Amino acid sequence: MPILNFLLPKDAKKQKVILLGSGALSIGQAGEFDYSGSQAVKALEEEGLEVIIINPNIASVQTNRGLNKKVYLYPITPFWVEKIIKIEKPAAIISSFGGQTSLNCVIELGKKGILNKYNVKVLGTQVDALEMSEDRELFAQKMKLINVPIAESHAVSTVDEALKTAEKIGYPVITRSAFALGGLGSGLARTATELKKLTQAALMSSPQVLIEKSLHGWKEIEYEVMRDKTGNTITICNMENFDPMGIHTGDSIVIAPCQTINNIENNMLRDTAIKIAQSLGIVGECNVQYALNPKDYSFYVIEINARLSRSSALASKATGYPIAYIAAKIVIGFDLLELKNPVTGTTSAFYEPSLDYVTLKVPRWDLNKFSGVSKNLGTQMKSVGEVMAIGRNFCEVVQKALRMVNENEDGITVNVFKNASDEVLEKELLSPTNLRIFAIYETFKRGKTLEYVYEKTKIDYWFLSHILYLANVETELLDFFKLKVKRDNVTVQEIYDSYKLVTKDKLQRLKSRGFSDFQLTKVYLSACLNSKVKLTIKEIRSLSFGVRELRKKLGILPVVKQIDTTSSEYPTKSNYLYLTYDGIHSDVSTKKNEKSIITLGSGSYRIGSSLEFDWCSVMTSSYFKNKKNDSVIINCNPETVSTDYSASDRLYFEELSFERVLDIVDIEDPKGVIACMGGQNPNNLIQPLSEAKVNILGHSQKSVDKAEDREKFSAMLDELGIDQPEWISAISLADIEKFIKKVGFPVLIRPSFVLSGTLMNVANDQESLDYYLSLTKDISTDFPVVISKFILDAKEIECDGIAKDGEVILSLISEHIENAGVHSGDATMVFPAQKIYIHTVNIIRDIVRKIVKGLNLNGPFNIQFIAKDNDVKVIECNARASRSFPFISKVSGVNLAELACKVMNSEKVKKILIDESEIHHVGVKASMFSFQRLDGADPVVGVEMASTGEVGCLGEKFNHAFLLSMESTQIKRPKKGILLSTGRERDKVKFMEVINSLYKLAVPIYATKGSAKYLGSRGYEASIVHWNRSPRAIDVITEGKVDFVININKNLSVDELHNNSEIRKVAVKCGCSILTNLEKVIAYLKACDSYEELQNIENCISL
Amino acid sequence: MNKEKRILTKEYKKAYLELSNGMKFEGSSIGASVNVSGEMVFNTGMLGYSEAMTDPSYLGQILVFSFCLIGNYGIPSYQNKDFFMSKGHESSSIKTQGIIVSDIYDGCHHHDGGISLENWMKDQNVPGIAGIDTRYLVQIIRESKNLFGKIISENAKPQDKNKFEFLKNFKNSEYIDPAKYNLMPSVSTNKKMIMGKGFKKVAVIDCGVKWNIIRMLMERNCKVELLPWDGDFSEIQCDGWLISNGPGDPKNTDNLVERIKKYVLALGKPILGICLGHQLLSLASGAKTKRLNHGHRSHNQPVFSIPEKNAYMTSQNHRYAVEKSSIQPGWELWFENANDDSVEGIRHKTKPFMSVQFHPEASSGPNDTSWIMNKFVDLL
Repeated sequence: MPILNFLLPKDAKKQKVILLGSGALSIGQAGEFDYSGSQAVKALEEEGLEVIIINPNIASVQTNRGLNKKVYLYPITPFWVEKIIKIEKPAAIISSFGGQTSLNCVIELGKKGILNKYNVKVLGTQVDALEMSEDRELFAQKMKLINVPIAESHAVSTVDEALKTAEKIGYPVITRSAFALGGLGSGLARTATELKKLTQAALMSSPQVLIEKSLHGWKEIEYEVMRDKTGNTITICNMENFDPMGIHTGDSIVIAPCQTINNIENNMLRDTAIKIAQSLGIVGECNVQYALNPKDYSFYVIEINARLSRSSALASKATGYPIAYIAAKIVIGFDLLELKNPVTGTTSAFYEPSLDYVTLKVPRWDLNKFSGVSKNLGTQMKSVGEVMAIGRNFCEVVQKALRMVNENEDGITVNVFKNASDEVLEKELLSPTNLRIFAIYETFKRGKTLEYVYEKTKIDYWFLSHILYLANVETELLDFFKLKVKRDNVTVQEIYDSYKLVTKDKLQRLKSRGFSDFQLTKVYLSACLNSKVKLTIKEIRSLSFGVRELRKKLGILPVVKQIDTTSSEYPTKSNYLYLTYDGIHSDVSTKKNEKSIITLGSGSYRIGSSLEFDWCSVMTSSYFKNKKNDSVIINCNPETVSTDYSASDRLYFEELSFERVLDIVDIEDPKGVIACMGGQNPNNLIQPLSEAKVNILGHSQKSVDKAEDREKFSAMLDELGIDQPEWISAISLADIEKFIKKVGFPVLIRPSFVLSGTLMNVANDQESLDYYLSLTKDISTDFPVVISKFILDAKEIECDGIAKDGEVILSLISEHIENAGVHSGDATMVFPAQKIYIHTVNIIRDIVRKIVKGLNLNGPFNIQFIAKDNDVKVIECNARASRSFPFISKVSGVNLAELACKVMNSEKVKKILIDESEIHHVGVKASMFSFQRLDGADPVVGVEMASTGEVGCLGEKFNHAFLLSMESTQIKRPKKGILLSTGRERDKVKFMEVINSLYKLAVPIYATKGSAKYLGSRGYEASIVHWNRSPRAIDVITEGKVDFVININKNLSVDELHNNSEIRKVAVKCGCSILTNLEKVIAYLKACDSYEELQNIENCISL
Repeated sequence: MNKEKRILTKEYKKAYLELSNGMKFEGSSIGASVNVSGEMVFNTGMLGYSEAMTDPSYLGQILVFSFCLIGNYGIPSYQNKDFFMSKGHESSSIKTQGIIVSDIYDGCHHHDGGISLENWMKDQNVPGIAGIDTRYLVQIIRESKNLFGKIISENAKPQDKNKFEFLKNFKNSEYIDPAKYNLMPSVSTNKKMIMGKGFKKVAVIDCGVKWNIIRMLMERNCKVELLPWDGDFSEIQCDGWLISNGPGDPKNTDNLVERIKKYVLALGKPILGICLGHQLLSLASGAKTKRLNHGHRSHNQPVFSIPEKNAYMTSQNHRYAVEKSSIQPGWELWFENANDDSVEGIRHKTKPFMSVQFHPEASSGPNDTSWIMNKFVDLL
């Protein structure tokens, strides 16, 4: 019997298994766990198990309702897991599919004896082995025992110990903190001073810090290992970092399979990985990371992860081997030999995939979104997402990947270092930022040698020589096209004729090295067009049809290749596809009976577009798949469920660029393309695709344009008599002055071009206005600044819905806890809305009707409002699915995405009226911030979005749902003390509303001078802390006297922000819970009154 | 490699692959400018091109690498004093007729590297073609029962027929089917050699032995006596026998099978057969061999032991296999392929005779079954 005995049905009833998720997305722990969890659910359900999901990540696919599944949107903590164990009485729990969060939770449940108490078995790798893999000292001992080399490393728990250890092993040293993900608290120390600083910070959040010998410049290599209970073991994939040791693997460009190691090195590391998995008794998946000396055959094991990881998700997508699915079968008792490789359907799952292509992962950073954060990369992960490119040579994948991650059509040739000085370039090579690869390219273009760049970067020659090749190719093309006198104007025909001169063979070669038509057009333009002439993207795109037409005429077309795990050794029906110009034959024929529907996915996760849009994409592609339409998806993000082979009928793991989508449309000849379900990235393609005569399903291009074009939208609102905040698009300072005279401060500034720092800001006075304007480029017709009246103390309300032919089919209204001024992606959202007047609701519904009609919407939409008293103004309308779709869908029970699909598929739909007061529970969606990983970032929320993830929790009462959502986003009830600074006078007054709730928490209260005085005058005691003299505010945080910081800005002026940022930064570094928004603070403290009640509830709400 | 400045506009010398099914592919000529012919085979291993190209089992074949990037780490230096044990080399020269790749890297920056792949091919007078859709070619080979090919480039010389004995059987214009002839004289040592200083002596029948077999025996304290395939086995004093891997059809080996039966099997001393050696030993035991459709040539062939069901990733390179139903009484199935159930190893129920279709010496490929070498040495 393959399945373990205790998992077999008892008394004809299915056994239950708890699967823990990973909670909100944060840096270091992102969407990859939705992918692995979703595969696991499928694998478990197939074997007749009922799966209990505990995960507050409401936007994940794994938290969808299911037939053999129950979903609890609760914090992943021993407390709540125990409660759910009591309710569900599961036979077993699985720890390995929910990242570090779930692993830590299961280790704790084991230690506390809870698992034994309820007789819940841990499936897969057992707790003692998990602990050994996590405790670095224990792990090091174990490795010594089995003769596996491990970098000399010492656990220390004080700064003094750290300094002594470093003396012994010699600088530079690396510090790492135990029990942490994403390299939190890690860094490189060259001197004692640096080490002191690093260990101090690391010891705040971890009891143990490791000091290790620095292996800077060594190759960094990973292996993904799978072992079953009989001990049979395979390595599924190896991966090599383009960036050598010194940059966190999550922030490294990664190629799979390894490219610069030979057979001896590969098998030496593979053997070791297997040996480690055997010795730890891994059952399921594990990942082993190595540092390999580039000068000889020596190596060290860096760490292992005894669970599914970001790397395993990447390896799955790189190889086509469904690691999580097979791992789930293994943890419930199957052996590898009993399982088939699902890709081939005929060969054994005991199999190491062979690839006949390469994949390249490039991380996505959004460091611009965080003011104050250093852009330098190091051992602490900073990226928020990633893309993966597939191709048949390195040049092709590197150019594809750069287009994917930067959401453009450029590749490596167009870059920010074109005008940089040699010094800037050299500095970039030596201390890399997220842009290093472009600096390498530019360095080569300036004629520097491979040796020069190698010495500065230690990146292997193999990688560098390909970048050099691309630089040489561009230089040659430029030379080839160069005109004596540049022109002011270029035509499509001229582009066509010029590339014709390049000859067919060479154009084919350019395409096979990853050059896009757009990029080739740009190269031509920079050779021939007068540099004073600036063309828009739209204009260049039109010109690029010169290359496209020529290509088509010459028969230079991309071919479709399958990813099949076997390099074609066996025939497969794999539906996992990519396009390449480095080949002459397509694996799949495109002749079909049914015309396909193509869903465009959302690309890399980033600030502002995350799991929620993958959820929408998955709902869309599976809707059409289930409807037996031929469902096709295009996406390039390896961390997603949408790029799982089972989410569609055909997956093109490809760029979401205009050219590539058009290529796929040419190949597929689809019924239509859906671009409104993957967020703004695919939405931007609606206009060019429509113009290229591609049938877009859903809203017409005209509707989308009218909604997105500020002028047109505003004019429409005026016509319909709908109120909106006053605004102008200023092209001079005089414009701004005039506008401000009219509306007064505060105003919201949105520059169209930013040199550094954040994009949007609120200016409270002339001084801050001047400061923010100084950050932007000169204001001109080309770079206008949009300035709008900012309304203080107004409520923000959203309406999500579906329209058909200009009529509202469904609309659902939710409210924000925070007042207007906090980006809707960062705000805490409540559904059904609790605090809106009925009259306001009626006004809103009326406006929604008018806008839907006015734009003639036909698909999903989201409209944002601000309301003050009963005065409602429209901020914006998104003619696409919104961030809140999964949240609203799951709380209301109506799947908005599916409804949108019906409309877009021209199916009959009836108007749906939902009485929101009939919904028996309240949902609260809260944002997760990753400030702890972003050294130097000011953790204040504002008009620019900064959160990396979100959760959504349910409660019978608002307070319950709110507390659960706070706990799930690391806002923990204070235990040690609270540091208070309550902002403006009027905020202080308002704060008195919850003063009793604050003191009921019964912990010491520290307050800054003004706040303490205010409290004192009303008979409440608080210890005073100061800015500059003892006791300092910062000291009570670093000394661990407080674990909760309430820090409200007096206003949004620059000074005030700077004053408080020190407190906030230190609080974040020390792992304190921190709230900076008054309304959220009030809601939190009020909710704390229900804390005991919530703790004592016996019934948790499940989906 | 920086010397060649004009990369895009550089004129590549064209080369063509002509197949016996009438298809023709165009690519760029790499390596030596020689026209060759051979049996078309593919290998799906992603690393280990130097090991594969020097593996004598590839004699007479044009090897297609399914992996798209070949040559990345160059060719390990082999002109050192410990020539015989040079890492990354499995014999003293390239044995493939030619290679077909998608993309070749013309550099060598690995710490173990001595020379670039292309320069090595030039040194050894071996041609190749780059810029071929190798995935497509693999599918064509997979679907054809027998496929032969020619590498033809402009102004190229014909192949020197003295390079290998078997070439003398073919005309220049002909498609070469190496398995038609006995390939042993082309790959076996022509004189007896003794290597190592160990206490135990292993007689290795050289049918085209891979050097790693010898290395592993020596590492395990064995003295290796390498015998020519047609040498006199009757007077050999040894503690055990190893029948090596090699190219071609096991039945096309003159009287080798009878001599193994008479002088090796009859002695009762420990025997290990590897790959062709496994087929020869099986034939000597009375079992039969058959030709597989396109064989196994990869680093990821899954096999498992019977009855324990211990599974191993193995490196393989063969087209012939032992027929399961022909395993003789007294012998038993030892290993089976997890993908296609083919015979991967047999052993004698009572005597110390064993043989495996896969390569316990790996090189290239996974080392999962190196324990078989330990097991064999323990028996001595």
